[in-house]
Amino acid sequence: MKEIPFKNPGWAGNTGEFDLTEAEVRGEDFVGERPRAGGHPSGASAYPYMLAEKTPDAKLFEGDYQARFEKILSRYPNKQGALLPTLNLAQEVRGHVSPETMNEVAGLLGLSPAYVRGVTSFYTMYNKRPVGRYLIQVCTNVSCSLKGGDDVMAAFLRYTDTELGETSEDGLFTVIEAECLAACGFGPAVQINSQYYENVTPADVPGIIERLKAERAGSAG
Amino acid sequence: MAYPYVSDREVRLLSKSFGDPKGRRLETYVERGGYGALKKAFEMGPDAVIDEVKASGLRGRGGAGFPAGVKWSFMPKEPTRPHYLLCNADESEPGTFKDRELMRWDPHQLIEGVLIAAYAIRAKQAYIYCRGEFFETTQILAKALEDAYAGGYVGKDILGSGVDIDVTIHLGAGAYICGEETALMNSLEGRRGQPRVKPPFPAAVGAFGMPTTINNVETLSAVPHIVSNGGAWYRQWGTERSTGTKLFCVSGHVNKPGNYELPLGFPLMDLIEDVCGGMTNGKALKAVIPGGSSVPILTAAECKGVNLDYESVQAAGSMLGCAAVIVMDEDTHIVKQVRRIVDFYAHESCGQCTPCREGTAWLAKILRRIEDGKGAEEDLDTLLSVSRHMTGTTICVLSDSAAAPVVSSIQKFKDEYLALIRRGERAGVA
Amino acid sequence: MADSPATVTLTIDGQEVTVPKGTTLLQAAKQVGQEIPHYCYHPGLSSPAMCRLCLVEVEGAPKPVPSCVTQAMNGQVVKTQSPLAREMREGVLEFYLVNHPLDCPICDMSGECNLQNYVHREGRDHGRSVEPKRVFGRDDFGGDVLFYGDRCVMCTRCVRFMNEMEQDSRLTVVERGNRSVIDTFYDHGLEGTHWHGNIVDLCPVGALVSKDFLYKARAWDLAHTPSICPSCSQGCNIELHTRDNLVQRVKPRENLEVNGWWICDHGRLDYEWINHGQRLEAPLVRDGGATRATEWKDALVTLLDRAGAAVGKGVKAVASPFASNEDLAAFAALVKELGGGPIVYRSARSDVEIPLKGYPGLARRKDLSPNAVGAELLEMTRVGGDDGTGGLDDVAKHEGILLVLGDFLHDQPSDFGGKAALYAYFGTRGGAATEAAHLVLPVTTFAEQEGTFTNFQGRVQRFWPALTGPGAARPAWLVIGALVAQLTSTDVIRSAADAFARMGQQVPAFAGLTYDDLGTRGAVVSETVPLTGD
Repeated sequence: MKEIPFKNPGWAGNTGEFDLTEAEVRGEDFVGERPRAGGHPSGASAYPYMLAEKTPDAKLFEGDYQARFEKILSRYPNKQGALLPTLNLAQEVRGHVSPETMNEVAGLLGLSPAYVRGVTSFYTMYNKRPVGRYLIQVCTNVSCSLKGGDDVMAAFLRYTDTELGETSEDGLFTVIEAECLAACGFGPAVQINSQYYENVTPADVPGIIERLKAERAGSAG
Repeated sequence: MAYPYVSDREVRLLSKSFGDPKGRRLETYVERGGYGALKKAFEMGPDAVIDEVKASGLRGRGGAGFPAGVKWSFMPKEPTRPHYLLCNADESEPGTFKDRELMRWDPHQLIEGVLIAAYAIRAKQAYIYCRGEFFETTQILAKALEDAYAGGYVGKDILGSGVDIDVTIHLGAGAYICGEETALMNSLEGRRGQPRVKPPFPAAVGAFGMPTTINNVETLSAVPHIVSNGGAWYRQWGTERSTGTKLFCVSGHVNKPGNYELPLGFPLMDLIEDVCGGMTNGKALKAVIPGGSSVPILTAAECKGVNLDYESVQAAGSMLGCAAVIVMDEDTHIVKQVRRIVDFYAHESCGQCTPCREGTAWLAKILRRIEDGKGAEEDLDTLLSVSRHMTGTTICVLSDSAAAPVVSSIQKFKDEYLALIRRGERAGVA
Repeated sequence: MADSPATVTLTIDGQEVTVPKGTTLLQAAKQVGQEIPHYCYHPGLSSPAMCRLCLVEVEGAPKPVPSCVTQAMNGQVVKTQSPLAREMREGVLEFYLVNHPLDCPICDMSGECNLQNYVHREGRDHGRSVEPKRVFGRDDFGGDVLFYGDRCVMCTRCVRFMNEMEQDSRLTVVERGNRSVIDTFYDHGLEGTHWHGNIVDLCPVGALVSKDFLYKARAWDLAHTPSICPSCSQGCNIELHTRDNLVQRVKPRENLEVNGWWICDHGRLDYEWINHGQRLEAPLVRDGGATRATEWKDALVTLLDRAGAAVGKGVKAVASPFASNEDLAAFAALVKELGGGPIVYRSARSDVEIPLKGYPGLARRKDLSPNAVGAELLEMTRVGGDDGTGGLDDVAKHEGILLVLGDFLHDQPSDFGGKAALYAYFGTRGGAATEAAHLVLPVTTFAEQEGTFTNFQGRVQRFWPALTGPGAARPAWLVIGALVAQLTSTDVIRSAADAFARMGQQVPAFAGLTYDDLGTRGAVVSETVPLTGD
C-alpha cells in the first residue's frame, strides 16, 4: 500500500469503510499512462486539459497532438461539433485560450473568429489569461460551504500568498472559486489542475502546497 | 455498496462495484454477467426493450423524473435520418455526486446501458457528455470504452449481431446549464450552451438537427438490470409510481455523508438518522434540501414522515429532483446558504432570457446586501415579487430553480432574514 | 363554419380570427389589431423566443407562452391583456430597467425607442432596484456602428442579422448571464461588410447607433417620406428622414419583393449629394456672350424660337438614368417633336454585385443608377465606360439641336456643344461643360419631386418629394412637358400621375399602369428588359 504522506491528501480513499490506495481511487492503476496521441478515437477528447506544463507558443497542432485532433474530428458529423474538444486540446497544449488561439482554432474548423470567441467566453474552464502552474479551484458551493469551504479557500489564499484570481509571484499558483465539483459528500472539495482533492480541511492546506512545490522541483524543467 | 460508507439497508444494484477497483475491468464485468443484457436486448428487438423499460416504471434520474421508456418511445420507429443517444454526465447540480461514482467504479455498466438504449431507439451514434471537471473519471470511462471496443462490444457488428453502435466521450468546459438537455445538445454541437425553445422536442429535432434521446447516467446504468431481469422485477422496490432503487447523495452535517442506494420511498429521517449515522456533533436538524439546490427547502418539522419518492416529497412542498439530500444543522446560517445558492445560479445563467439574466443577478445582490446587514423589510417583498416573475416565464427552469430556495427560505425562515434586517447583524453561525 | 385543413380559428382577446396553419400567436394578434410588445422576434430573422416580452396567457396552458413561436391552434383562447399577461410584461420590463442606464436625454434613440414606448404603456412607475448597475461602456464596432453596451437589451437581433443575412459572423455574445454583452472579435469589427447598417435599424433601443447620425437630430423632429434608393438598380424602398429641408438619414422601407426590410451600407450612407453642392436656381439664357437669369416662360419661349430656327439639322440628346420615368418620357417626347434623334445615357457600373446572402434577390447591383431600365424602355442607349465617363464625342460636336437632361458632364470640356445651333441643358448643377449652353434650366432631384423609377427587374416604384427644390427649380417632366404641350398644341400636364399615364401611350410596357396600381409597393412592367451592353 502506497505511503500516505499525511492523513487526508483528499481522494476520499481513506474516509469511510474501504481500504484503497490513491492510485486505485483515482483510477491510475486502471488507466495507466494515456497516450498523447489520443488512444482509441472514442476517448480522444477524454484527456486532462489542465496541465502543469504549458507551452503558450506551441503549434496547433503537430505530432501526437495533431493525431489526437484528427481522431477528435472524425467523431463529429461536422467541424463545428469538434469545437469544444479542439479548444480543450488547444488549452492542454498552450495553457490558456488567447485571442490568437481562438483565431487559429477558428481557422482550423472553418468558423468565424467572433463565433469562436462567443463560445469560448461562455465556458468557465477556458482560461482567458495565463494561469499559474497549478490552478487551484476551491468549491464554495452549498454542500462544501456547510463543511467549511470558505475557510479552506481562505487557507489556500494565505498559503499561496495570492489574491483571488491572481497568480502568485513565483508563477506557481492561481486560486479561484469553483462551482459544485460533484464531490459533495466528500467536501470541502478542491480541484488542482485536473485532480480532485476531497475532505480538505484548512489544516491540510500547507501540506498540499508543499507537496505541489516538491512536485514542481522534482519534475524535469 | 455505495461509497464511501456501507449500510445494510442498501439495495446494491447499480452500486455493487463501488469501492471495488476490479469492477472497472472488462474481464471482471463479463465474469459477473456483464454484457449479457446487451445480448438479450439484441434477441428481444428494440420495441420489446422499450416495452420492458416502460413496464419497469424507470423514471429519469437526472431530476425531471420523466418515465424513460415513454421518452424512448417518442423516437421514430423507422429511421429516415440518423438517431442519436446522448448520455447526460454533466453532473453539476449542487449536492449531487452520484454520476461521478457510477462512472468511475462501474464504467462498463454505463456503457452497456448506453448501448442498449441506443439499440432501442435505433441510434448508431451515442455521445457521453461529461462535464469538463471530470478528467479523472472520464479517463477511467475512456479506458473502459477502449476495452469494450477491443472486446467487440462497441463498434461495427457488435458480437456478430449486425448492429453498429459507436460511442464517443465528449468533455464539456464548465457550464452548469449544459446539464439541461437542449443546452447539452447545443454544447455538443459546438455552440454556446444555451437551452432551446421546446417545441420542437429532441425526439423530433435534437443533436445536429436529428431525432435524439437524452438520459442521465443513473437512468442508463439501471437499464442493463431491467433488461436482464425484466421490468416487473424492478418494481419490487419503490412505490407504485416511483419504482426501483435510487442513489441518494447525502451531504452536509451528517456523520456518514456519501452515496446510498436505497429503494425509492425510503423514509427521509431514517436516511439521516440511521443510514447516515445521525447529525454531526449531536446537533439538531434545522433544514433539509431533498433534491439538489434547485428545490424548495424543507424545515426539520416538515421532514418528518416524508418518504423519498417523487410523490411524497412533492406533497411535502418540495421535489425529489436528483435526490441530492443536503442536511443542515441548527447552527446553519440559512440566509448565507441561500445567497450562495443564488450566487451560483447568477454565475451559471446562460443569459438568454431576461427574467433569468437580470433576475438572478438582482436576487444575488439583494441577498448579499441583506447578509451584510444592509437590508430593509421591503427587500423581502421585492425578493418574492422578483421570484414570482422568474417562475414560469423562461425557456428553461434555471430561473425557477434560483427562485425556489429564495421563496421557500423566506416563507420558512423569515425570522432569520428579519434578524439580519432589523439588527444588522448575523443571526446564527455558518 | 368548418375550417379547411389549411387554416385554424382561435379567439384572441375575445375576437375570433381565422389564420393559415403555422401562423404564430404574435402574427395572429396583429390581425385583430393587437401589437404584442417584443424585442427578439423579427419577421426577417430566426425566432429565439428569449426576450420573454411577448408572453401571453393561453387558457389551459400551465404557464404563459411566448407568442412569437407558439403556433395558433384551433379553439385556442388567447389573452394578451389579462391581468396575468400584463403582470408578466410589467415584470419583464422591470427586469430590463434594472441595469439600463437613464440615458434618454443623450441617447439618439429617444423618441423612437421601444423601451420608452413599452415602459410608458405598461411598465411600473418606479423600478424597485437599488443595486448598482452593471457597466459595459461604449465600443466602436467599426464601420458606421457604435455600441453602447449598457443600453443593450440582449435581443441578439444584431448577431443574428450578421449570421443569417449578411452571413459573415462578425458579432457574438461574449460571456454569459448578467455579464453577457455583444462584441466583435476584438479589433476585427464590421469593416468590410456591406449591410451592417441594418443592425442599427434592428436594435430596439439605443445600444447600436449610427456614427453618421450621432447627435444629429431628434427623432421627433424628422419628417419621413417614402422614396426609392437611387444608388443602384435594385430599387430598395427607403424613407428619407428630413429636417430643415435636408436629408438627415436614410432608412429602409419594407417591401418583401424587393429589399425585405434591408438596405446596403452604400445606399444608406450615400445621401449627402442630395443636400450639398451649388444648385441651379433660376433659368439661365445665354445671348451672345452674356448670361442672364430669367423667368421660366421667357426661357422656354427662347428655347422654342431657337429650336424652330434649327429644324432640319438633327437632334442629339443625352439623358440620365437618375431621372425619373416621367422626366425621361417627357424628354423623349421633346426629342421626337423636334425631329427625332438618338438619346444616349451614361451610368457607372461596379464590377461586383454585393448580394445579401440571406435574402435571395437582394443585392447591391452592378448598375449604379436607379432608372437605367426606364431609359432603356424609352429606347435610350447606354454609352461610355463603367466609370460613367466618355462616349459623347460625336454628341459634343453636334451642330444641330443638342439637349441634355441630368448628366453632370463632369468629364466633358468647356466647349462641349459649342457648335450646336441650340444647346439646352436641363439639370441640377452647372459646370464647365454647360458654359456653351444657350439655356441652362434648373430641375429638381428625385428627392424634390414625385415620380417613379424602374428597377433592374422592371418593377416600377413610386417615390414622393421629401424636400423643396431650390429657387425656380421644377420637375423636368413639368417644364419639358410644357415644351411638348406647346409643340403639339395640347394641354400642359400638371401632375406626375398624368405624366406617368402619358408614358403608357409611349411605351407599351407601361400601358394601362396608373399610380394607383403602383401603390407603395410598385408593380412589374409587362416585358422583361435587357440592358444594352449586358
